[in-house]
Formats: sequence, C-alpha cells, structure tokens
Amino acid sequence: MFRTVLVRANSALKSSINVTKPALALGSSRHMSKESTETDEEFDNRYEAYFNRADIDGWEIRRGMNDLCGMDLVPEPKIVIAAMKACRRVNDHSLAVRFIEAIKDKCGGKVNEIYPYIVQEIKPTLVELGISTPEELGYDKPELALENINDD
Amino acid sequence: MLMELTKMAGRLLALSARAVHARAIPVGACGVHDEVRTVIGNREIVGYGYNGQANYADRAEFPLPAIRWKEPTPDIAALREKEKGDWRKLSLEEKKALYRASFRQTFSEFKAPTGEWKSILGYTLFFTSLGLWLFIGMKLFVYNPVPESFGEENQRAQLRRILDLRVNPVFGLSSKWDYEKNDWKK
Repeated sequence: MFRTVLVRANSALKSSINVTKPALALGSSRHMSKESTETDEEFDNRYEAYFNRADIDGWEIRRGMNDLCGMDLVPEPKIVIAAMKACRRVNDHSLAVRFIEAIKDKCGGKVNEIYPYIVQEIKPTLVELGISTPEELGYDKPELALENINDD
Repeated sequence: MLMELTKMAGRLLALSARAVHARAIPVGACGVHDEVRTVIGNREIVGYGYNGQANYADRAEFPLPAIRWKEPTPDIAALREKEKGDWRKLSLEEKKALYRASFRQTFSEFKAPTGEWKSILGYTLFFTSLGLWLFIGMKLFVYNPVPESFGEENQRAQLRRILDLRVNPVFGLSSKWDYEKNDWKK
C-alpha cells in the first residue's frame, strides 16, 4: 500500500519538475514587489488629496491617519491641515486632537525641533476651526492616573 | 490511497477553516454580529482597528482604535450634537469630555513610565540570591567533601603520569613537554 503511495508521489513529483523546468528557464524576470518610485512630493500630494476628498468618512480618515503613523516619517503640515479639515467635515474634534498627539509622538527624539514647526504651520487652521492643541487641553502631561481595568 | 488522503486533508482544512471563521468576529460597515455587541455594548464602531476586530487599545503606532472608548450616554450624545456646530463655541471641558468619550488615555498617559522595572529588577535579584544561598547551603550541609584526587599533589601526580605515558604527542599536551630538559617547551 505504501509502495503505491510512494510510486505515485514519485511520479507526481517527477512530472511537476518536468513541467516547471522550462517555465523557469523561460521566465527569467522575477515577479517581486517593486521599489516605490514615488517622490516625497507626490506622496505628500497623494495624502493631501486623500484627506481633502469632500465625502471622506471617519472610517477612511482613521485609516489614513493610522497608515501615516505606521510609516517612518512625520507628515508634512499640509497633510495635517487637510486632515484637520477632514475631521471638521465629519464633526470629530477628538480625532483631530488625537492626530496632533500622534504626530508629536512621531517626532521622536527631535520633538523640540519638528513639533513646534508643525504647530506653527497648522496654527491658522486650528484657530479657524477652533481645534485645541493637546497642550491647551493639558494632555502634554498625564492628566489621570492609570486606572486598573480589573478594579471595577 | 493518495486521492483519499488528499480528500481527507481537504475536508479537515475546510472544517478547521469553518471553525476559525465562526469564532472570528466579523466587523463591517453593514451591520455587526450580536456577539460583538455583547462585548462592546452600544459603543460606536468607527474604524477598522489594528486587527479588524471591534476592540480598543491605546497604541502609539496605531493611535485610532476601532471603537470609541465610552458608550454614548445622553450627556455624550448631547455633546456630539453640539460638536456638529462651531468648535470655537465648545469649552475646554467639553472638548476634554469628548476626547475621553473617544479615547481612554492620552499619549502622555499611556506612554508614562509605570515603574514596573523596579519590581522586575527586585524580583530578579531576590531569586538569584536565593539560588546562591541554596548552593551555599548544599555545599555546607548536603554534599560530601570533594575526592582526594582534587588536591594539588594528586593533580600534579596525574599530570606527571600523563606526560610519562606520552598522551597525545603530536598536537596535544605531551607535544608541549620537553623530555630532554624535563620542563615545558619555551
């Protein structure tokens, strides 16, 4: 019984090898992921346009923001401005505050250089829309002690 | 035989896939499973979340979780209505209440050091010293003294014997011994 299995497996293997061999020889170009050819400017414009879409919903805003937070970069002020305006369109103030907090966190060790610049650039928009920065809300320092989730 | 095997494997795979699927909580814009509702209550599902499930976690690399932190109480619902108007008319307290309705902790809160490292260090040192004390206790009260052959005289005698037997004379110990001068080769 096992002999039959072995023999069949062997023949199956052989035939599959015979099939794949010419294919390998023919297709010398690899189908792998390509390096991104997008320039920084195109990237910024893409995300600005993404947040500027008139009928964007909260789901998509969160997706865009979360994606940006997963990347090795700090978003340009113009992206942040577009995102703030998108938050205004879906009426979610806390979303805007959270994104500013996340950007501050993205600045990492250069928070004293990059974050003031971004705030300075987006300040007119914040004033226009009435968005408070995390600092104005007192969120730059821990406000509440850690609640234990099991203490209820 | 092989056919049967593959068929069986296929059926198993399908079964397990179905089992996994039944347990996973599908989250979509088009209505949510009752199972999710028993867990999250009336909380609004506002995004995909970090793993496609309706759950909440404060994470720096994924700051916007799938659901809001608080259930919409009448207070919060009234604030939401007000939020639809001009944000400049919202007071700081209202803005903070809105933030806490959506998020559990601010960045500075969930990134604040917990001081847990102190207890970890303390426990590590405590158990390490406990082990050392155990070892000392065993040496003092349990083990017999080491055999005679561990003494220096016996060790010298043993080395002498190894050299006399010319053990490993090409690359080993005896190759380092000068038998003419009766000393180690310089």
